[in-house]
Order: sequence, then C-alpha cells, then structure tokens
Amino acid sequence: METQYPNIHHDAIERCRKGDTQAQFELYKLYYKPMYNVCLRMVGNAVEAEDVMQEAFLKAFTKIDSYEGKVSFGAWLKKIVINRSLDQLKKRKVKFEELNEKIPDEEPVGLEISEIQMEQLKKAIQRLPDGYRVVLNLYLLEGYDHEEISQILGITNVSSRSQYLRAKLKLREMLHKEELFEYN
Amino acid sequence: MKDELERLILNNQHSFQNEEPLEGHFERFEARLQKASKPTRKFDFQMVLKVAAIVVFALLVVNQARIWLTPEKKETLSLGSISPEYREVEFYYTNAIQTDIKQLAVFEKEGLITESEQKMMLKEQKEFDQMYQKLIEDLKANPDDERVINAMLEYYQSRMNVLSLVINKLKEVKQHKRLHNEINI
Repeated sequence: METQYPNIHHDAIERCRKGDTQAQFELYKLYYKPMYNVCLRMVGNAVEAEDVMQEAFLKAFTKIDSYEGKVSFGAWLKKIVINRSLDQLKKRKVKFEELNEKIPDEEPVGLEISEIQMEQLKKAIQRLPDGYRVVLNLYLLEGYDHEEISQILGITNVSSRSQYLRAKLKLREMLHKEELFEYN
Repeated sequence: MKDELERLILNNQHSFQNEEPLEGHFERFEARLQKASKPTRKFDFQMVLKVAAIVVFALLVVNQARIWLTPEKKETLSLGSISPEYREVEFYYTNAIQTDIKQLAVFEKEGLITESEQKMMLKEQKEFDQMYQKLIEDLKANPDDERVINAMLEYYQSRMNVLSLVINKLKEVKQHKRLHNEINI
C-alpha cells in the first residue's frame, strides 16, 4: 500500500476489517456526532437523520475493504453519509433545480449575531425547502464547490449556482419574517 | 464576494456541529449492528441447505438412473436373484442338471441311445426350457410370490428327477449290454 493516512483509530479500523462488532461500535461512538450533524443538515429531521446516519455506518462497515487509507477515515465516512443522505432525499423526490426563474439581486444586510440568534438561524436553515437546504449546506458547510455539487446532484454547474443564490434569498426572507434582526 | 449571511454561517460553523441524536441511539445502533452481523450467518445456513438439497437431488438422480438401468443389464433374473439361500439352491440344481446332461452326451457317444430316444429327450428338454422361461416371466412379475418360488423349486426337482431316471435306465442298459457281451465271449 501507498502512503497511509495516519488515523488515530487505526487499530479499531483494522479490527473492523475483520468484522469485529466491538470495534464497529467503538468507531460509531467516535464518529457518530459529526456524522449525525452532517445528516441532520442534509435531511433536516432528527429521526430520519439518525436512521440515515446509522445506515451509513452499517454500509461503511460492509464495504470497509474499499477504504484504502488515502484520506482520513472520517472523510471517507462522511462521503458515505452524504451519499446516503442524498439517497434519502431522492426518496422524497426532491428537485435540485428550478428552471426559467430570474434571480433578483441580493440586497446586502448588515448583521451581527449572538449565540441565541445563531440557533434561530440554524432553525431557519432546517426549514428551508429540501433542494435549497442541500445546496446551501453542501456549499457553505461541507465545503463543496459548485462543480462538485453539480456532479453529486446530477445538475449543471449553473443550476447549482442559481439554486444556491435562491437558497440564500429564501433564508433571508425567512429571517426577516421572524424579525430576527429586531434584536439588533 | 462573501456576503454577511455567508460570513455569519462560516464564522459559526461550530454551532452547526453540536447537535446530539435522540436519546437511545447507541442502543438502537447496537441492535442494528447485531442484526446486520446475523444475516451473513443466515445466508451461510441457506447455502448449506442449498448444497444439501443439491446433494440429495444428485443422489436421487443416481439412484433413479440405477433403477432404470439395472433391469436392462439384469436380463439374467433367476431364482438366485431372490436371496443368497436360493442362489445356493439354484447353483446346486443347475450343477446337477448340467452333469446329467453331460452324462447323457457320454452315453450318446457310446451308442446307448437310439435316434428315436434322442428325439424324445430333445423334445422333453425343449419343454423344460419353455417351462423355465415361463417361470422366469412369472418371477419377474411377482418376485416375492411364494408360489412362483415353489413352482421353480418343483421345476428343478422334476427336471433333475427325469434326467436321473433316464440316466439310471441307460446305466442299466449299459450293464445289461456288458453282461450280454461277456456271455457272448
């Protein structure tokens, strides 16, 4: 094998390869939180997020032999989690693009925010329509660029960009309605 | 390019990472892990069942083939095919009959049997052979029938009796002739 990513939990991963249930549960305990948060941001619902996350873990364990150690285990796992989340969204028949719609220019709003308001922002993101939320989430929080997003969602680069802009507009609108900025 | 909203989210990424799953998720996952590790065993068990079924099927096919093929090979069904004891009996009778027939051939060479006697004996032998064929047919149809078996035994006995009767008579004739010759000398 080539250069191995120096995983902290190398031992547990190796035991997982041998189908050790104990080691699998160990890895779950180590990684469930970040993976759950990825799922929750993608599917936007606690019960579904847990189901998808656990499914992703099980999937990862069955195909652990395909983990070659070129990236961190967490990064590899996260990719599976994101794919499983997208599968889940496809079941809901989420559309990731809307055609022939003009996107108005954004109006810049100055914001300063406290921790409580951050919670409200999170909730607002959760309530975004699925298609918007996923693109916004992938772009801002998972660090994908529009090229990558267009690939994994099967849409064009342009659609990804316009979907992202719409998502931001919608979010702003929701925040205004909630009078989040009243506190400023 | 980044607007306020983007900056706000990017600067507070940590607050998007702090959600906990609903309570009991560890237990739920453990249960799923157990369940997921079982099907492989179940699958193996099914494989074993499949292999067993194939083996049983193959054995049945072989057995069936043997049943179909053996009667063709075993045209030589006889009393001896019923049991080892009957094979012994059959062997005894056929042997005795065989020696008697040989003995008859010897007498014939010595000129003790006239042509008309020879014809009569041949006819008799033919009748016995036909009777034997009929008995074999019966035996094939009812291999376990006591009556058929008894009939076969009777057949052998009477055939042997007839032969020994003829042989004894011929021996007498031979004796008589020798005496006659001696007297003549």
